Amino acid sequence: MSGTDSVTLSEGAGSMVNHPVKLAVKNLDFFYGQTRALKGINLSLYKNIVTAFIGPSGCGKSTLLRVLNRMYDLYPAQRATGEVLLDGQNVLDPKLDLNLLRARVGMVFQKPTPFPMTIYDNIAFGIKLYEKLPKSEMDGRVEQALKGAALWNEVKDKLNASGLSLSGGQQQRLCIARTVAIKPEVILFDEPCSALDPISTAKVEELIDELKSQYTIAIVTHNMQQAARVSQFTAFMYLGDLVEFDETNKIFTKPSKKQTQEYITGRFG
Amino acid sequence: MTDMAVESAHMAQADIPLDRAKALSAFKLGDVSFYWLTRISAICVLLILGGIIVSLIIGAWPAIREFGFSFLFTQRWAPSAQPTPVLGALGPIYGTLITSFIAMLIAVPVGLGIAIFLTELCPMSLRRPIAMAIELLAGIPSIIYGMWGFFVLGPFLANSVEPAIIAFFAPIPILNTIFAGPASNLSLFNASLILAIMILPFITAISRDVFATVPPVLKESAYGMGCTTWEVARNVMIPYTRVGLIGGVMLALGRALGETMAVTFIIGNSFRIEPSIFAPGTTISAAIASEFAEADGVHQSGLILLGLLLFVLTFFVLTCARLLLMRIERKAGA
Amino acid sequence: MNPIYASRRRKDIIIRGLCVAAAAFGIGWLTLILGSLLWNGLSSLGLNVFTQMTPPPGVKDGGLLNAIVGSLIMTVIGVAIGAPLGMFAGTYLAEYGRHDKLSSVIRFINDILLSAPSIIIGLFIYGAVVVPMGGFSAFAGSLALAVIVIPVVVRTTEDMLALVPTALREAASALGLPRAYVITRIAYKAARAGLITGILLATARVAGETAPLLFTALSNQFWSVDLTKTMANLPVTINNFVNNPDPNWKSLAWAGALLITLSVLTLNIVARYVGAERTPK
Repeated sequence: MSGTDSVTLSEGAGSMVNHPVKLAVKNLDFFYGQTRALKGINLSLYKNIVTAFIGPSGCGKSTLLRVLNRMYDLYPAQRATGEVLLDGQNVLDPKLDLNLLRARVGMVFQKPTPFPMTIYDNIAFGIKLYEKLPKSEMDGRVEQALKGAALWNEVKDKLNASGLSLSGGQQQRLCIARTVAIKPEVILFDEPCSALDPISTAKVEELIDELKSQYTIAIVTHNMQQAARVSQFTAFMYLGDLVEFDETNKIFTKPSKKQTQEYITGRFG
Repeated sequence: MTDMAVESAHMAQADIPLDRAKALSAFKLGDVSFYWLTRISAICVLLILGGIIVSLIIGAWPAIREFGFSFLFTQRWAPSAQPTPVLGALGPIYGTLITSFIAMLIAVPVGLGIAIFLTELCPMSLRRPIAMAIELLAGIPSIIYGMWGFFVLGPFLANSVEPAIIAFFAPIPILNTIFAGPASNLSLFNASLILAIMILPFITAISRDVFATVPPVLKESAYGMGCTTWEVARNVMIPYTRVGLIGGVMLALGRALGETMAVTFIIGNSFRIEPSIFAPGTTISAAIASEFAEADGVHQSGLILLGLLLFVLTFFVLTCARLLLMRIERKAGA
Repeated sequence: MNPIYASRRRKDIIIRGLCVAAAAFGIGWLTLILGSLLWNGLSSLGLNVFTQMTPPPGVKDGGLLNAIVGSLIMTVIGVAIGAPLGMFAGTYLAEYGRHDKLSSVIRFINDILLSAPSIIIGLFIYGAVVVPMGGFSAFAGSLALAVIVIPVVVRTTEDMLALVPTALREAASALGLPRAYVITRIAYKAARAGLITGILLATARVAGETAPLLFTALSNQFWSVDLTKTMANLPVTINNFVNNPDPNWKSLAWAGALLITLSVLTLNIVARYVGAERTPK
């Protein structure tokens, strides 16, 4: 599967759409000190496709996600070997400008992380990093981002309220808006709904589905129904190994590995 | 088709990241300078310690050369003796140790008692106000304690308390030399009592913090067996927090040893060592505080040497305290 | 009643009694101190304290104006030098060097400095500043106070930044924000209340410090705001007044002591109030 540089999926009404590889992971190993947390991972994220990562706790799915934008670089004694190619450029190259990488590969975290500032500033903050815009244009961009995250109608009258005053689900969508506002190419979601109630979860899932038309998306989730609902590709991981990586339909209907079968039918995990 | 898609993706991204790279490069200088700003500031902390040690040694050098080790064992302090001044640290060292010892003897049990009272016995509604009052009192500058001791406590002790103690112990051998008269406004005992009052809030606050690290489950299971409050304190809280308590007590000791203003007014500034705790004495810091501004030459150097001794002493005590406290922090963290 | 239980209960009651007595004893002393401070201080506190200079001995009038102003100047300069330095150093410990060797050494040394006797700091500044500069000066006094401020601020800054959730830092990094800006724009903002609390506590700590000023700033009987000369200040003035039998000086000393105590308590209470609305969650 990782050998190919694009996939073709049928998308409703029998039309076939071609999706090129956006991000290719090749022979990736990851170490926390001496512990090997990822073992020879090979897989690809395809453009405009949602790829879900499932597996029991500690299987390395969040670790893998944090390699893709090199979030692990913030901590000592963590290192990755192998290749992660973003449009052909190796992300693991030590000379790479990390901040630029992170601008291209956005991330949404498990717990909502609004910055301690107003709703407006939460969005404008990221935009200001890269662009100098006049106020009117900035207003437009903020509005656009909030609309993109389906939050505009709820907050348009209180843009100057603190981001912390929103509900959990709203905060999470604010974080998504913040990520989208700086126009990344890939968005990584690290269990984005695990701290949310079912209604907020549904809204975020809907949002992810809309976002895929513009972005390449990876999502780590504990919830297999969620993986089935939002993703087109699914990777099943176990103890640092990538056990199976295939179209979501296939993984959930006729997985080729016994371990995958056992996990998705709830026999372990 | 595949190739085209890949290529167009490349082209679309090519211009955006470039633009961003320019935007980000504006932050580079700030990023690097802030790192070095914080790192150099952090190293300043080391430089301060180094500066203290070096400047004390340089200042003390003439006295070290003049007196050598005999400084430690000489009781006589005669800066204007002829032909050369004679300076000995025995009196201040004795005074420092004995006042701190008596102060700890009083403050540790009382402080622990208050901490147990606050964590186990006190009605809930009073806990926060009392704890807060005690913490606020720990922040009162020591000169206030010293001044109060000089104007209020000293005369009170000399007139009403000490005569009674002296009379009580008079017939008992040995004790009658330790508690020998005459009662005085200025004495080691008065200074010790003021020190005790001053470090009391400190010991209370730190023991309370340390007691707070005891997992409630542990206490609950002891109470669940029918233990009384005292038994829980003695068999669960104190053993569990032993290391931290010792660390806290050493920290308080470090403070008592180096305290200046609380004792200077009330200790009498006498370099002679007397067996009675009601006699005047001096401590290292009191000697420095009262003589330094008017001293010069070897006299001044001798005072700096006293300071160096005090620094070594407190450094040792504080190091032990911190090592012990670090152990309990690790335990609480784990 | 079971005899063993009865004796256990007796013991418990005795110890409980002792604990209550200890609390009463401790709180009793402290109320006594505050009580006599208020009593003597208030009766000596008049308008003259704030409008007149410190008097020579044997003169009836006089106040503490020069000492109050001098204390304010030196405290402000001391905090202005010590607080930023301490904050940056604390930032290094919490953010860049959380795990490295250098940080653990610095952390340890800082904890030692935190409780080092303040008179030693005075001796240090005497040797390092007063002697080379050729005389006592308000500047030297301010530096001595700064040296006391630094470890307090280092400690609180590190503790407060440690309370900022890692997720918040990661989220800021995930936008491509360079480390320094993650710290200054996000972490400082999230920890703002705590950082201010630390600086207020440090200010409270030095506001009443006497020992480090005794032979750095010395004191001055007259009005002077020249940083290169000796400067009057409340703690040393109190120290000098207490050591003198003059009754006018004694009453001014009480007034000064009350002023210092009130300002230190106020700073502490404000610090707590600010700290209570702590932002990191």
